[in-house]
Amino acid sequence: MKSAFAKRESRSGYFFTGPAALLMLGLVVYPLLYGFFISTQKTNLIDTWKFVGFKYYRQLLTDPAFFATLKTTGLFAFCVVLGNLCVGLLLAVIVNQKIPLANFFKVILMLPWLFPEVVVALIWKWLFNPLFGLLAHVLMITNVTKVEYDLLGKESSAFAGVVFVCVWKGYPIVMLMMLAGMKSIPQERYEAASIDGANKWQQFTNVTFPALTPIILVSAILETAWWFKHFTVIWLMTAGGPSGSTKVVSIDIYMQAFTDFNFGKAAAESVIVLIILMSVSFIYYKVLRDETE
Amino acid sequence: MKQNRVKDGAMSNVKINTIVTRTASYSVLLLMTILIIIPIVWMISTSLKGEAVIYNTPPEIFPSHPTLDGFRQVWVSHPFFAYLRNSFLVVSTATFFSVCVSTFAGYGISRFNFRGRGFYLSFLLATQLFPSIMLLIPYYKIFMVFGMVDHLSGLVIIYISFTIPFCTWMMRGYFSGISKELDQAAAIDGASRTRIFRSVILPLALPGVAASAIYAFIAGWNEYTFAMVFINTDEKKTVSLGIGQLIGEYRTFWNELMAGSFFALVPMLLIFIFFNRYLVSGLTAGAVKE
Repeated sequence: MKSAFAKRESRSGYFFTGPAALLMLGLVVYPLLYGFFISTQKTNLIDTWKFVGFKYYRQLLTDPAFFATLKTTGLFAFCVVLGNLCVGLLLAVIVNQKIPLANFFKVILMLPWLFPEVVVALIWKWLFNPLFGLLAHVLMITNVTKVEYDLLGKESSAFAGVVFVCVWKGYPIVMLMMLAGMKSIPQERYEAASIDGANKWQQFTNVTFPALTPIILVSAILETAWWFKHFTVIWLMTAGGPSGSTKVVSIDIYMQAFTDFNFGKAAAESVIVLIILMSVSFIYYKVLRDETE
Repeated sequence: MKQNRVKDGAMSNVKINTIVTRTASYSVLLLMTILIIIPIVWMISTSLKGEAVIYNTPPEIFPSHPTLDGFRQVWVSHPFFAYLRNSFLVVSTATFFSVCVSTFAGYGISRFNFRGRGFYLSFLLATQLFPSIMLLIPYYKIFMVFGMVDHLSGLVIIYISFTIPFCTWMMRGYFSGISKELDQAAAIDGASRTRIFRSVILPLALPGVAASAIYAFIAGWNEYTFAMVFINTDEKKTVSLGIGQLIGEYRTFWNELMAGSFFALVPMLLIFIFFNRYLVSGLTAGAVKE
């Protein structure tokens, strides 16, 4: 009797999940395996297919330029994720208070999330324009700089500029997730804390933060994965320049494939990125789980 | 008496604390609002400038001779209507398909125990780790074989592939919030599995369906990378791609570009204004449950 029930149960399970599973198999798993296959080939994707084994992996893993790209990517992802988490959490805590206009500010603060990445990149590129942009002009009239400041054209500042824009675009989703998490913290805990004489900061560190840890963990993993492979904003703002200072691995893969037509090597790079992201998520998961226990 | 004084002191401490927190809170909010408003104002002000005025120094924040030239020109010198039409076509088709299968899958995962369920869930999360750019090259080859490079149908397939995982995830969260007792009650009344889903649970889950549809739509509307690689013909570009490529090789008409950006933003703003409620509730359900 019970096994008949279990059978029916799993049949229904397959019935409902089947279509999505088949689509994922065809549209994600198959291309992924095919990508791995391409990474072992010297190919133009049309008529030349030559098996080269792990040659491209060896080439990449002994290439200092590739490591420099990975380092830039890692630093970029780290800065953006840290920025998003800090700004998102801070703002969530602020608008979650019972203060006048909290809802109004919530709406304003969500606006950047609605902006298409292309639009964000272009507006800021135009704001940062050295000759006609607002930023250069403001820096000039306030006497911070003597000449027009070319933020995206300088190796020293282009990276910071790109990170800033990505945090501007990226924090609202973190803020929303944190707000959602705070909704589930029972009000009694705060009351208990304030009876014990905890101030706002102590309430945050002892009540809010521990309760939010699982959500912070999930956001950190997802955000790292998203920003590590980010392409659009950087591509449109700097295209990886000046002199490679914002060249992240997605841009490298794109150029390897569609400028140099070195498809095998580009595919190998993608596989390496996948391995990195999986290890990073695994470490995050381990570390943060141990800390909460 | 002494006790009273201590109490008074404590009260005023609390008051001071409140004032400090409020002041700090509003300062941060004000600063953020300025940081958000400046780019928006700059976009609108540029889009209202004539071609010559854009390059005036110092730049005018409020244009002295506002004109709608940029808004007109972007329709005249580029197939902007085609961009919008393509985006709507591609993104709504993809959204429709992925929301349908995701709703089914979300229901299946939330209700039934079956072999591979755990694996399926972790797979959905793991898809978020795959570099989308990793699928670029295999898809390019596959589309070459099927003659789908430079075809909107190719984009539909890609957008379906990357919206299914998070729509399924959201729907699962939403279904988990609906009591299983409803299923059981309907089953006792003799309704079949599909009947229970269609007539009992689905109507309750409609806000969740709306939320995931909106997320899928926004994700597709904003996508740039795949469109850039697969679409070459101007007439077939999506809005994101069309605007991104308005940056000219020799000269960029920033007023047209900002007017175009404004048009690309309007559908998102409308979605936000009308569906705000669903967006937040959908995310809450997806984020908090487990």
